[in-house]
Amino acid sequence: MAQNINPHYTAPSAPSKTNEENQNISKDNHAVSKRLQKELMVLMMNPDQSVSAFPEGENLFKWVGTITGAAGTVYEGLTYKLSLEFPHSYPYSAPVVRFTTPCYHPNVDHAGNICLDILKEKWSALYDVRTLLLSIQSLLGEPNNESPLNPHAASLWPNQVEYKRQLRAEYEKHQKSQ
Amino acid sequence: MAAVAPVVSLHEQHPDDLWNKICIAFPVIANEPLMQEYLEEQVLNVLELICQHQLSTFIEDYVVDKIQHITMQKIVPDFWSKFCKRENEMQGFESFRDAVYSVYNSLISFCPVFERLEKLRNISGIHRVVNGENTLLGTFKVIIRSSLLSQLPLNHPKITEDFYRISFKVFCNSDNYVGDQDDSPEDMVHCSGCEQEIGQCQCQSIILVFHEVNQKLIELDLLERLAGEVITSLIHLRIENHVEESCKGSFDTSHISTLEKWLDNVVMGWLRRIFNGSSENVKSEKKTEEAIKKFKQKLAHFLYETYTRTRIEQLFNIIIEYPDSQPAVEDLRICLQKTDLRPYLTQKLQRALETRLLHPGVNTPDILTAYVAAIRALRQLDSSGVLLETVTQPVRQYLRWRDDTVRCVVSSLTEEGPSELADELVRGEALQLDEGVPSDEDTENWEAWNPDPVDADPSKTSKSRRTSDIISMLVNVYGSKELFVNEYRTLLADRLLSQFSYNTEKEIRYLELLKLRFGESQLHYCEVMLKDVYDSKRINAHLDSDPNFNLDKQQFPATAMILSAQFWPPFKEETLELPSFVKEHLQTYTKAFETLKGNRTLCWKPHLGSVTLEIELKDRKLNLTVSPIHATIIWHFQSKNQWTVEELSQIMHVPSTVLRRKIAFWQSQGLLREISTDTFLLVEENPSRSKCPVPAEMVCEDEESESAMASAHDQREEELQVFWSYIVGMLTNLDSMPLERIHQMLKMFASQGPTAVECSLQELRHFLDRKVREHKLLFSGGFYRLPKP
Repeated sequence: MAQNINPHYTAPSAPSKTNEENQNISKDNHAVSKRLQKELMVLMMNPDQSVSAFPEGENLFKWVGTITGAAGTVYEGLTYKLSLEFPHSYPYSAPVVRFTTPCYHPNVDHAGNICLDILKEKWSALYDVRTLLLSIQSLLGEPNNESPLNPHAASLWPNQVEYKRQLRAEYEKHQKSQ
Repeated sequence: MAAVAPVVSLHEQHPDDLWNKICIAFPVIANEPLMQEYLEEQVLNVLELICQHQLSTFIEDYVVDKIQHITMQKIVPDFWSKFCKRENEMQGFESFRDAVYSVYNSLISFCPVFERLEKLRNISGIHRVVNGENTLLGTFKVIIRSSLLSQLPLNHPKITEDFYRISFKVFCNSDNYVGDQDDSPEDMVHCSGCEQEIGQCQCQSIILVFHEVNQKLIELDLLERLAGEVITSLIHLRIENHVEESCKGSFDTSHISTLEKWLDNVVMGWLRRIFNGSSENVKSEKKTEEAIKKFKQKLAHFLYETYTRTRIEQLFNIIIEYPDSQPAVEDLRICLQKTDLRPYLTQKLQRALETRLLHPGVNTPDILTAYVAAIRALRQLDSSGVLLETVTQPVRQYLRWRDDTVRCVVSSLTEEGPSELADELVRGEALQLDEGVPSDEDTENWEAWNPDPVDADPSKTSKSRRTSDIISMLVNVYGSKELFVNEYRTLLADRLLSQFSYNTEKEIRYLELLKLRFGESQLHYCEVMLKDVYDSKRINAHLDSDPNFNLDKQQFPATAMILSAQFWPPFKEETLELPSFVKEHLQTYTKAFETLKGNRTLCWKPHLGSVTLEIELKDRKLNLTVSPIHATIIWHFQSKNQWTVEELSQIMHVPSTVLRRKIAFWQSQGLLREISTDTFLLVEENPSRSKCPVPAEMVCEDEESESAMASAHDQREEELQVFWSYIVGMLTNLDSMPLERIHQMLKMFASQGPTAVECSLQELRHFLDRKVREHKLLFSGGFYRLPKP
């Protein structure tokens, strides 16, 4: 857990003046921007195109991600869009990640929220956008049916043929509605 | 005549009788010439009689009417008839003279009539104004003028022009005589004034006639109307010729004062004589003096304008010859203040620059030289810099478009020997770039402040225009220091690697000078490069001297240039398989280096470098310094004296096209011979060559002295490849985007960090369009998107 603590905040000088704090934040912001910039570069330079993300607009703290279902899973060939929001304390706290394309999956609810341990208590500053997206990609093929957000999907999962049919139907429905 | 018989009641005398008497007094009425035999007394009687009958006004009107009729019918047609035929100038001169004489004579002949009418007026006490004139003579002059002008023929200026041209020529000639007597005698067979043989020179008579005619015209009040235009145009022509002659091709003297003097002496002298009659001493009337003064103002302005125009025509050449042409520029500066020719100058000079400079036939260094000269000359012309900015706009645009501009600027900056730019560099001022920081104008010297001219670009501060630093202006062609610094880096790398000398003092000097301009941080890379060279020297010496490394026991001595890959521009990638014994040596060297430097190693660039060879043949010995590839080629011929290009290519890992080019060098040295296509044989003995001694040491200049650095184009491609990854990334996630947004995103997210690269909107458009053509992108409705997989 040690790496999840921002050294700036745990500095011994506890009662600091407000403007000092502000300075800290802006300095941090700069550091976070730099880190995000670097992560973007790593992501861009990576030849693997199955996961990808890019800042949505001028704001470097809000990204749009794209995941293509891994080969050999029922999600193969399906593309999902996600939104990533980075807190100013990133990477010491996890980004907020949601599916924006409706995703029929045991661990994804109707609003797109994802139940994934590394997005919550297991987050570590050592993760980055790429590893995070890869984790979500692998989650698609290997759901955790113990704590489903979508009980219907969780119950259907054992029947892969029926699941696939249902999944494709949901996906088509969304594609058409676009 | 009955129709005009007086209707007034007459007593004492019969009307006919009275009429006859009137006719005697004014024979003009009866179309008869004036008789002088009648005594004045008789005439006076008649006049009194008229007065008694209260016929004065009527008679006067009638006589004037009659005279007017005669003028219209006879005098004027006579006058103009002289103007219709003309064979040469001289004839024109004479016709004009005759015409003026005849009009004048008729005026004279009518004079007595007017005297009598005047008397009649006196007797009857009448004061009238006819045709706007108080006197009857004045009235008559108006009549002549009006009827003359009412019948103006088309070709009249021609003969008038003849007259004045001849007289002007004579006049100028007589004036010149005073000035220069040293005309060669051969030219003097003909008088240059009247073009007659010297013996029959008519100059004097021409001048005489000229003065007489002018006087008569003045008396008739006709000079202005008839000849004014011709005189003006003649003078203009004369001024134009004179200006053109006097400033033909000479830019190193100022002409304004001599031209002013000339105008004053020659032209004004002539004018004065026209207006004042024959002699200059005649005290001129106030009115003519004023007219002349006005004329002079007009002519002076015309002179300035002509001179300015001439100089503007020559401005391109003037600029090229700057600073030798400084007086001409100064002249132009003064004249520009007197004339409104600034827009004309801008337009003309721009066109001259475009036609003479900005086309593919001109070398970039020449364009740069001209640009530098233009900067200097135009600064003198207009210290605010507005003119410079406007005029050289196309030059800058064009230079931006040329590939080798930066290279030319940088190389001329650091060139050896006299170069204007190198001198500028030594002058050393901090670089001033258009960064648009609105600095406060000099507040110290606010009294001398002047607003910018109206044609100035308001978006720029006037201070930025007023900088006179030429290097700043050149760098501003591109608007970024980075480009220049990068180019300098490439050039420096090239120079360092092609010279293979460890002597960097000169380069360090330049670098220090450049640092003054561009700042430390920009040139940090170059500093490291020079330090590399210096360190290499040290490391070589160290490795050589240390017996542990066994470098001195090798077959041949080798030194290395050790470069920090991070800081040098990328190299052109070329492969070359060196002979195994060389490779072994280099490996030993690498090992030694690794021992010395701990966790660092060397990565050899076998295609760079130079090799000193001693070649022993049957009949001769050669000492050569060549590139590694040349050395490798000839080394292979040591083991086997016949090779095909194909074989060599396989063994050396070098493309055959490159090999053929390199082999050509050995062919030219007479060492190799092509016995059949692509098959080469070593020439051991060369009977024809053995006679003449081969120069003992020859340094091989690489044929085209290629750059070892990757070309700018290749580098750019690589940079664009980086952009492409980002573009794919953003389009994957954000679906479709317009060009501007992609550009903006790239600027924000891809152009940061130490290796920031710029990409203009236009370049991006080209790049994306290329990707569309390659089917890697789709473009519709202004949006780019990725094709569906």
